Amino acid sequence: MLFLLPALVLLIALRIVPMLGAAVDSLKQGSASADGGEFVGFENFAYLFADPGFQSVLAVTGLFLLIIVPGQLVVSLVLALLLVERVPGLGLVRVLVFIPVAAPAAVATVVWGIAYQPKGPINATLTALGLPPQPFLTSTDQALLSIIVLMSWIGVGYWTLFLIAGLQDIPRELYEAAAIDGAGWWRAFWSITLPNLRRTLAFVVVANTVSSVLAFVPVQILTQGGPAGSTRLIMYDLYNNTFQLGDVNLGQTEVVVLLVFLIAVTAVQFRMLNREEH
Amino acid sequence: MTALPDAIGTTRTRRVIVGIVAWCAGFAFALPLLWMLVGSFRTGQETFSSMFPLSWRMFVPQDPTLDNYATLLGGEFGLSVANSVFVTAVTILVGLAICAMSAFALSVLRFRGAAFVFALVVLSFLIPFDAIAVPLSNLFREWGLANTYVGLILPGLANGFAIFVLRQFFMAIPFELAEAARIDGVSWWGVFWRIYLPLSKPALIGAGFTLFLFQWGAYLWPLLIGTEPSKVLGPIALANLSGQFEVDFGAIFAGSVLLTAVPMVLLLFFQRYFTASLSATGSKG
Amino acid sequence: MNPRIRTSALALLAGGALALTGCSAGGAADDGTTEITFVGADPAEAFEPLIAAFEARHPDISVEYQNIPFDQYNNVIQQRVGAKDPSIDVLLVDAGASASMASRGWLADLSKLRDQAEESSIAASVEQSVWDDELWALPFWTSAQYLYYNADLLEAAGVEPPTADGERWTWEQVVDAGKQAQAAGAEYGLLFDQTDRYYQLQPLAESAGGGSGATGPDLLTADITNEGWQRSMDWYASLFADGVAPRGVATDQMNVLFASGKSAFFVGGPWSVDPISKGEPPISYGVAKNPMFEGGTPAMSTGSWSIGVSAATDELEAATAFAEFASLDPEGNAAAVEQIIIPPTNLSAFDAYIERLDKTDEPNTAGMGQLTLSELQDAAVSRPNTVGFTQMQDVMGRAFADIRNGQPVGETLQKAQDELQGLWDRL
Repeated sequence: MLFLLPALVLLIALRIVPMLGAAVDSLKQGSASADGGEFVGFENFAYLFADPGFQSVLAVTGLFLLIIVPGQLVVSLVLALLLVERVPGLGLVRVLVFIPVAAPAAVATVVWGIAYQPKGPINATLTALGLPPQPFLTSTDQALLSIIVLMSWIGVGYWTLFLIAGLQDIPRELYEAAAIDGAGWWRAFWSITLPNLRRTLAFVVVANTVSSVLAFVPVQILTQGGPAGSTRLIMYDLYNNTFQLGDVNLGQTEVVVLLVFLIAVTAVQFRMLNREEH
Repeated sequence: MTALPDAIGTTRTRRVIVGIVAWCAGFAFALPLLWMLVGSFRTGQETFSSMFPLSWRMFVPQDPTLDNYATLLGGEFGLSVANSVFVTAVTILVGLAICAMSAFALSVLRFRGAAFVFALVVLSFLIPFDAIAVPLSNLFREWGLANTYVGLILPGLANGFAIFVLRQFFMAIPFELAEAARIDGVSWWGVFWRIYLPLSKPALIGAGFTLFLFQWGAYLWPLLIGTEPSKVLGPIALANLSGQFEVDFGAIFAGSVLLTAVPMVLLLFFQRYFTASLSATGSKG
Repeated sequence: MNPRIRTSALALLAGGALALTGCSAGGAADDGTTEITFVGADPAEAFEPLIAAFEARHPDISVEYQNIPFDQYNNVIQQRVGAKDPSIDVLLVDAGASASMASRGWLADLSKLRDQAEESSIAASVEQSVWDDELWALPFWTSAQYLYYNADLLEAAGVEPPTADGERWTWEQVVDAGKQAQAAGAEYGLLFDQTDRYYQLQPLAESAGGGSGATGPDLLTADITNEGWQRSMDWYASLFADGVAPRGVATDQMNVLFASGKSAFFVGGPWSVDPISKGEPPISYGVAKNPMFEGGTPAMSTGSWSIGVSAATDELEAATAFAEFASLDPEGNAAAVEQIIIPPTNLSAFDAYIERLDKTDEPNTAGMGQLTLSELQDAAVSRPNTVGFTQMQDVMGRAFADIRNGQPVGETLQKAQDELQGLWDRL
């Protein structure tokens, strides 16, 4: 048991205690004041879910997930399919796709932030192609998408590696049998590749959902939730409530909402990770 | 070798097209990094003037200079990178020890409730740390860990993903090895240290990398807990470079290069192991 | 692992013991000097002369300065001082923020120095730190704004520039002249130094008769949908819609754009002279009175940081001595502006500052001293001293950004007013 001790100590100190703390604070009001505040039951939750601001945060976060998760999945899958082909210099191409993973989120954000400037390199390229320059981060229609692109620059390479590994684990015999049946690429893709890749795909979807719902850095550095709340994701909102506006209890209430969602998703992920044993 | 139906490049033309598309994709991913690298060798004003309109100058510095790096490393940024290196190194060493020990306990030692403990440990550590960072930071401040290295390091030590990968690997090592050693009078500690760890290098490297990426890229936590200038980490210092009254693109690019170069070199070096550990979870999961 | 935990536990214990002995010994370090920590939002060099002068006067106290970048300042103060962290002793308090900080118990009461402060400092700068009839911070810096113009760009457009001592221009006039300059080749017509900050934009609404936005007995009733706010924000939105000013350029790059000769006009503080004078190639510029709206009243942003003592400090005496020196002592307050171009609040330090202002970047800055005096007298409007200022700054900052980015003005103001009122009602 001694082997487990450090992990268990960390588990209690770093997970259990703060979660309980958040739960307690979500039921109180005025925790930051000198007297420590008072219990108000579920009032914070009622306030939060009735607040049009928070409803819009949930909507924006939901929209964000609905775009980024399937989007990254499709792009990663296409890339993975390409990168198991016989391509000259394959190793180097894989490295090029994977290398942005090394960039810390703050680096990617700052560099892309400059690229998105009205007179930045992206608009320079558009202008050179005869297209109108785009507003990117200053437009309600494009800001969220711009953030998705910069996050995908880091994320796609990472998920592609999982999918490449998954593709390579599909037994060759299946394709040999399909070749005898005279199947083409599309039929082999639908009847062999996809079904055998199902678990990997599901894993990527779940793991990606978990990491995406916590997106924070680009919002904090580039848009502060704007314009007009169009990039106000839940992590930024709770950070802002807690530290900018000083309403600890409202922030903790959001933490609890987020945790309930994450525990549900993580439970699914754990079952998938663990399935092979049973 | 005959082409099987999972290959797209079946004819010569198609192979050429696949090759071109793959290379274009790779190039597109690397382009922002290349631009960043070039930008780090020129003055902020030149970066500004070379961005628009589009010209070949965007990727060729007119008047290459190392000033940006000199300025950065001499100032607070240099300290923040040193902090990041220190914090990350300790995290990997201590974190690997903790993760490997618990993975060992959960795979080799047979005790009652092991399955439950395993679920509890991995599940808890799979819940992303950032979600509870805000309440945890309040506790850390009460415990006097704000603005200390211990405070910065602790959250990165235990990682559900790393524990999981290591446990998978340990389970694949024949249990008879451990049994034989136990009969010879070797302690469990000896079994762990002399048999399991040496056999698990790829998994250790993969798990170490997971710990590394987490800690090196961490932003929210150090923003909450490392606010004192002497304890600021690289990513925060980088974000702060553009937050002052004036902004120097040259310095920002140079800082970005410094913060990306370290993981990039490690990644290239250990990529094989990292990929192997991914495939242990992703494909079979 | 185990040795590690033990070491850190030991370190914690030792730290605790140190803190305990620290308390009983009155905070004396080994060599008998008291150490205090002072935080602000400007680079350390700005405070070096002040700290050196103070340490020369009080050899038994040493001061360590920590810089927190402006964008993080509120958050960090909230996290550290709000959590009663004793490692901050003295802090700079932004104008308008003293009431909200004091109401949360973060600041030590400095009322015993109030008479002295009123005697030696600019009156408005003391007033901004009074809340609940007590004084919570001492005056430190104040500020003024100027209309900077690029002489060459205006000449090319055939526009006679405004002057430091002449007629006050209207905003409408400035935009017309800016557009003429753009037609003659300038990239932009008019830039603001701090695009989305309440500090910079409050005077627009004030000039158009809209008030500060905070009304009612406790200044906790939001009023930003009135005619004056609507008019001034419509005007502000049109700057960006018409391309007189650029969207998507961060606040910190505005002075760089003006310094590199890309804009005809620029509204900024005295500190802007520093980056502007470093343009490559240098531009020829001048300063003039703050514009106002046609038929409106003159209005200029003012106020700046005050210096306060943290309520959580273990070194109340030393910390108060430092704040007192930095504010009320003419030598200390003068040292506080030696490395940075911003007006001090101490009356005698202020006179010396005005005198040297004209010479900051001759001949471009000629007349700046006199201009500062007259503008502080005729046009200055302070930020509302409300306990809800933090919320106001946050909500208004986002509303300004949205308006700049082309959201409908009326709707944005209405939404901001509802949100702000909601937050204030929770206080």
